Amino acid sequence: MLGMALADARALVPDIDATAADPAGDAKTLAGLAAWCGQYTPWTSPEGADGPVGAGVWLDVTGCAHLFGGEQGLLEDLVGRVESLGFDARAGIADTPGAAWGITRFGKGRIQIIAPRSTRDALGDLPVAALRLPTMITDGLDGLGLRRVGDLYDLPRGPLAARFGTRVADRLDAALNPGSEPVSPLVPVPERREQMAFAEPIGLLEDIERGLEALLVDLCMRMDRESVGARRVDFTLYRVDGGIARARIGTSRPTRDAHHLARLFAEQITDLDLGLGIEVMAVSVPSLEPLVPEQMALADRTQPGQRNNQSSPDPASVAPLVDRLINRLGSHSVVRLTQRQSHIPEHAAAEIPAADDPVKSDTSTTTLPIARVPGRGSRPLRLFPRPQSIQAVAPVPDGPPALFRWRRVLHRIARAEGPERIAPEWWRTSLPWDAPWEAATRDYYRVEDEEGRRFWVYRKGLYSGPDGDGHEPTWFIHGQFA
Amino acid sequence: MMIAPPPAYAELQVTSNFSFLRGVSHAEELVTQAKILGHRAIAITDHNSLAGVVRAHVEAKEVGIKLLVGVRLDLQDAPSMLCFPRDRRAYGRLCRLLTMGMLRGEKGDCFLWLDDVFGPENGGGENQVFIVVAPEDATPQELVDTFAPALNGIRNKAVEDALVFLAGHRVYRGDDERRLATLSDLATAHGVPLVATNDIHAHEPGRKPLQDVLWCIREHCAVAQAGFRLGVNAERHLKAPTEMARLFAEYPDAIARTMEVADLVTFSLDELRYEYPEDVVPPGETPQSELQRLTWLGAKDRYPDGVPDKVRGLVEHELELISALQYASYFLTVYDIVRFARDRDILCQGRGSAANSAVCYCLGITAVDPDRIELLFERFVSAERDEPPDIDVDFEHERREEVIQYIYDKYGRDRAGMTATVISYRTRSAVREVSKALGLSQDVAGALVGMVWRSLKDEHTDAYIREAGLDPADPRLRQVLDMSRELRGFPRHLSQHVGGFVLTRGPLSEVVPISNAAMEDRTVIEWDKDDLDALGILKVDVLGLGMLTCIRKGFDLISDHYGQSFDLAKVPAEDPGVYDMLCKGDSLGVFQVESRAQMTMLPRLKPRTFYDLVIEVAIVRPGPIQGDMVHPYLRRRNGEEEAVYPSKELEEVLGKTLGVPLFQEQAMRIAIVGAGFTPSEADGLRRSMATFKRTGKIHTFRDKFINGMAARGYDRKFAERCFKQIEGFGEYGFPESHAASFSLLVYVSAWMKCYFPAVFACALLNSQPMGFYAPAQIVRDAQDHGVKVWPADINHSDWDCTLEPLHDQAAVALRLGLRQIKGMREDAANALMRERDGSYRDPYDLWRRAALRPGQLEVLAQADAFASVGLARREALWAVRALGDSPLPLFAASNHVAPANAEVSEFYEPTVSLPHASLGEEVIADYLSLRMSLKQHPLALLRPHLGQTNPAMQLNETATGSMINLVGLVTCRQRPGTASGVIFITLEDETGVANIIVWPKVFEHYRKVVLSARLLGVRGEVQREGLVIHVIAKRMVDLTPRLAAIAQPDNAPPPRAVGVSSFRSRDFH
Repeated sequence: MLGMALADARALVPDIDATAADPAGDAKTLAGLAAWCGQYTPWTSPEGADGPVGAGVWLDVTGCAHLFGGEQGLLEDLVGRVESLGFDARAGIADTPGAAWGITRFGKGRIQIIAPRSTRDALGDLPVAALRLPTMITDGLDGLGLRRVGDLYDLPRGPLAARFGTRVADRLDAALNPGSEPVSPLVPVPERREQMAFAEPIGLLEDIERGLEALLVDLCMRMDRESVGARRVDFTLYRVDGGIARARIGTSRPTRDAHHLARLFAEQITDLDLGLGIEVMAVSVPSLEPLVPEQMALADRTQPGQRNNQSSPDPASVAPLVDRLINRLGSHSVVRLTQRQSHIPEHAAAEIPAADDPVKSDTSTTTLPIARVPGRGSRPLRLFPRPQSIQAVAPVPDGPPALFRWRRVLHRIARAEGPERIAPEWWRTSLPWDAPWEAATRDYYRVEDEEGRRFWVYRKGLYSGPDGDGHEPTWFIHGQFA
Repeated sequence: MMIAPPPAYAELQVTSNFSFLRGVSHAEELVTQAKILGHRAIAITDHNSLAGVVRAHVEAKEVGIKLLVGVRLDLQDAPSMLCFPRDRRAYGRLCRLLTMGMLRGEKGDCFLWLDDVFGPENGGGENQVFIVVAPEDATPQELVDTFAPALNGIRNKAVEDALVFLAGHRVYRGDDERRLATLSDLATAHGVPLVATNDIHAHEPGRKPLQDVLWCIREHCAVAQAGFRLGVNAERHLKAPTEMARLFAEYPDAIARTMEVADLVTFSLDELRYEYPEDVVPPGETPQSELQRLTWLGAKDRYPDGVPDKVRGLVEHELELISALQYASYFLTVYDIVRFARDRDILCQGRGSAANSAVCYCLGITAVDPDRIELLFERFVSAERDEPPDIDVDFEHERREEVIQYIYDKYGRDRAGMTATVISYRTRSAVREVSKALGLSQDVAGALVGMVWRSLKDEHTDAYIREAGLDPADPRLRQVLDMSRELRGFPRHLSQHVGGFVLTRGPLSEVVPISNAAMEDRTVIEWDKDDLDALGILKVDVLGLGMLTCIRKGFDLISDHYGQSFDLAKVPAEDPGVYDMLCKGDSLGVFQVESRAQMTMLPRLKPRTFYDLVIEVAIVRPGPIQGDMVHPYLRRRNGEEEAVYPSKELEEVLGKTLGVPLFQEQAMRIAIVGAGFTPSEADGLRRSMATFKRTGKIHTFRDKFINGMAARGYDRKFAERCFKQIEGFGEYGFPESHAASFSLLVYVSAWMKCYFPAVFACALLNSQPMGFYAPAQIVRDAQDHGVKVWPADINHSDWDCTLEPLHDQAAVALRLGLRQIKGMREDAANALMRERDGSYRDPYDLWRRAALRPGQLEVLAQADAFASVGLARREALWAVRALGDSPLPLFAASNHVAPANAEVSEFYEPTVSLPHASLGEEVIADYLSLRMSLKQHPLALLRPHLGQTNPAMQLNETATGSMINLVGLVTCRQRPGTASGVIFITLEDETGVANIIVWPKVFEHYRKVVLSARLLGVRGEVQREGLVIHVIAKRMVDLTPRLAAIAQPDNAPPPRAVGVSSFRSRDFH
């Protein structure tokens, strides 16, 4: 029921399938449908849903119907095909847009045609809502018992206007009298696009590359003027046979470097199916981001002899390499390390796709200065990927080891500090929820053996005392200090 | 072998869950655990708050451990400090300090600076013990660099004799040895001795997951994303003294010093007892002498023919007891409030343990005549139980604010304050928050929350989870449910109690901290009424009660139209006609006994005396029902079973209720007499019942209770039933003393309904919203009792419903007020009444004179309120639609300068003929505007189209067990918590009302129909219980769309929306 709270609906139907409203998506679908209707007439226009009244598409079929075997044929073809696309469809034809709107939504069948000059009769029995009146007005008319469009025909217009404004009369006139209301056609969405047409179809790869580069240069100059950069670029080739071929590249940072873009495309265009030749080619940018103007480099970075001798990883200089790797290997194969907020040492770093914007990823991966994590002890220079088991002798319950054996070598401890006690991350599903979780708690010690080597070792499991649950602490080495 | 005695240790740094979303254990748990571990004392030091100390205090007394009342002062410009007042005066200053900090910020804030702590407001910290807490995150180096100067600053600011210590605890970060050594050095260097603590946040380590979850709730994140914001380990729980001594082996003095501090602090919350205000005592009198004077004065008033001996004896006895317990000021304070209300003609009625005393009757606090009822005063105010008296006063709900303002005026805002209510996590909110913290998706969380709305019992959880489309074996779900159970009952924030007033002799802010409430200009204390109760601080609940408003309006109407004057005490007592009516279950609108369950009970219980009403009110409650006490009582009362008493002692306790415990007091007496509880144990039992979700102590009480009774030779089954009943009381306790006060209102409202049905209906309508029934049912019921009801009209109706004399009879008719019209505004109605001056000629006249906005005129037209000027609804709507937006300026009207368009539209417009409205359309339009129709019942119009159906009236002639087909409007849907999933539906048709019972199985099958149908068809089996007839639903069908057919005129579409939404029922009270 429209306007019902989801919670109430759930009380009625517990397993109700809830989907969030997506007006933008709906509008997009509707616009697509309107464009699709372009095969019946060039004049189409979407009209969004308004409350309980369904969304629709206007078609001006004046002079088109004969192509489909008349109006009936056109509607049958249209409704049938729209339904095959998965929509619930109704359609109507009338002398006026108003009448067509009303008869489509409030008439009795899926397909309705009002014969020329019989609009008045056809509309008479429809409810007043068929006049595209706002609910406030239809409610008002309803209270007076004026429910059918026909009830309004004989009412004096003056008193009616005094009570409901001129809206009712206007709508009534628009529905009954042809010619007053135009339908505005669908307007294409503006985009950054450059296009090039050829007198003769071309088919050589070099020609395509040259054309692409020219288009990209134009595109990048335009983006430069507008202070934007591309995150995605589409390259569309319209073939002589009516088919199209398409290539698409993405970049990890916004860019308007034509040369760089061309190199990214180079990986793909060799695979394109050019058919019998290309008539038109176009580049367009579906995804833009702001990019401030920058000084053009004097020399091309990739020219031999020019070396970037700064060892600091300037993201701008690494980015083209990352982009090329990503476009060749796939975005998930190129990763970089990032710090993760976890008290468990081996979980404190994570790999993320290199293309991901570090700022946008979730808070657990935000970088915190490693030196200053509140409440954390120091970490060894070298952390083993996996802790290694050792044998240790230590005083109970929480003393540091006096000696331990690692890789068959015995280390006698001269100095020790600790423990740093780290509880397990109980919310990880791999951890049995009911397990005595003291058993998974770690006590870390920084220890130095008699030869001055320093290690990071830990005891897994706290001593639970003589009447504990029986788990025995075990020892591990997890890293080495310099 | 020698075993060394455990070292003496007291934990001094303890954060309870009253530091909201920080501490993860109840104060009671912490105190008990400390006792179990062998601590010598324990402190509660919540962050800038004393909200949890009373609970801790009560628990500490019970388990026998010393409690240090303290607070952790989180300061804006200095490290945090624990603060312990050593005596009452130091405690008062601490409260004042906290109040000051809290009033500086929003609700929940507390802004304090070091200068406040050692400033004059706090007496320079005199007689308070301070323990400075080193910042936990600081490295040893930072302690030296930044904390040391801060510590020095504190040492220098503190007055000479202020006692300042330094807390040291292990943080398990790897550098504890260096850290403790540094702190020890700092302590020596600055002369602030080191004290060992463990910075307690939980009573045991297993609470760590919940602690992480709480942290996430606070930070609005999920645990997986919380990262370093979560604590790294679970060490901040209470540890045994030997373990503490081991951890501080190198600092034995720090351990010993905990006892030093504990010994320094001798303040106990018991010192706050009974600081009653004495404003109410005139000079030269003592509270007791004044109370005696007023009581005897009142007695003369109450008994103009002389005080009966019985009452005189009672009064003397009670006064003696009051004197011995020094409660006189309390009674005088309540008397003063009631006297004010009486002077202002505000109807009020006291209830509560002490309210039904002879003294209170004489003082006018209650109208329950002690001559009419046997209530033993000792049972309510008992010397041995050492409990403060308890009187709540109900006032007319529309005028309660006047009383509140009076109290503020009389005692000042510094001595009168509103009690807090602790808002705790309930199952739903706990599940919601935990789900969010564990990162469940919104729809899974929603399904889980939706699942628990049917009072989740643990053993059914799996089935419910599966039903919600989830997998009960999913470990994440189990985590959520486990932790939700733990979180349930945790305090979430403090809110303002609806009417709880606390009054003190001295400044309130020296008894308890006061903070800003969420509401503008309201302040609220940090303790709730249980806390105040436990400490014996005077509180009076000033509550609003809709029925008192209704009764007062009823008395006024009787006086206006019948010339008789009544008040609560003057209504003729024990009138058989009133009881006859109640025995029939004819109680719609009657206070407390109008619910379906009560209506069913009335004919079974057959009340004939006032005390029967007391039982009637108390018996349909969770306690007696859960304890399975109802049926035994009814059987005994109807003579089907002999009243036997388990023992001689219990006969005294249970004599009045035929051996079946029905009241809370009786259950408590059984604990004492039957199970051998001490009075204070019984009291502890009652308290732990009220809070049993908070602590798991119920089991120990349960064993003690049942074993105690078994040991005294009682039947174990009986003992278990008694205990079950006590558990039921915990949820919604209903003592005899409350029932007695309520019963008077039951009797008075029933009397009014019986002898002045029009008055009663009118008063009820004018006191809406209240009670179970919608205006339509009240009107219907009045009509069934022979009251003529007239429609709302611009020339006859006031805002309120009124009574109009009938031409030929002594009776009166009920005229519906404009308040019944949906969308009508009170100010517009007042303007209409003010300018009416006889009558209005037409809509134009009304518009011109009363200057109503067009919207309001339309609302009136929709309600068909222009009948007296000869306009049907549609004609009136057409007419008002033409009236312009801005009403006339007054001078324009007086100068007869007609506004052009209005005059034109009124007089020169061509006539328009609108489609004629059928009766059905009129009825639907009535429902749209008034939610009722006086013209015809919708079912009468529908009946011809319904085929084989039975009108509700036929139920009376239908044999038990036969099937019947009913169709009616759903007027009420109830699912009482006490009825284990049974749903009651009330159906109404043109002949009467039918009561439908839907068993859970049937409900599950017809769920959607039951919950959404406005017009419901039921096929079911007729069942009789005395005079009450039920229909047990077998099959149901949603006939709501048929309502559209009513409005079907000859050839037009039905009206938009069909007005279905106006057939609304009152659901799930």
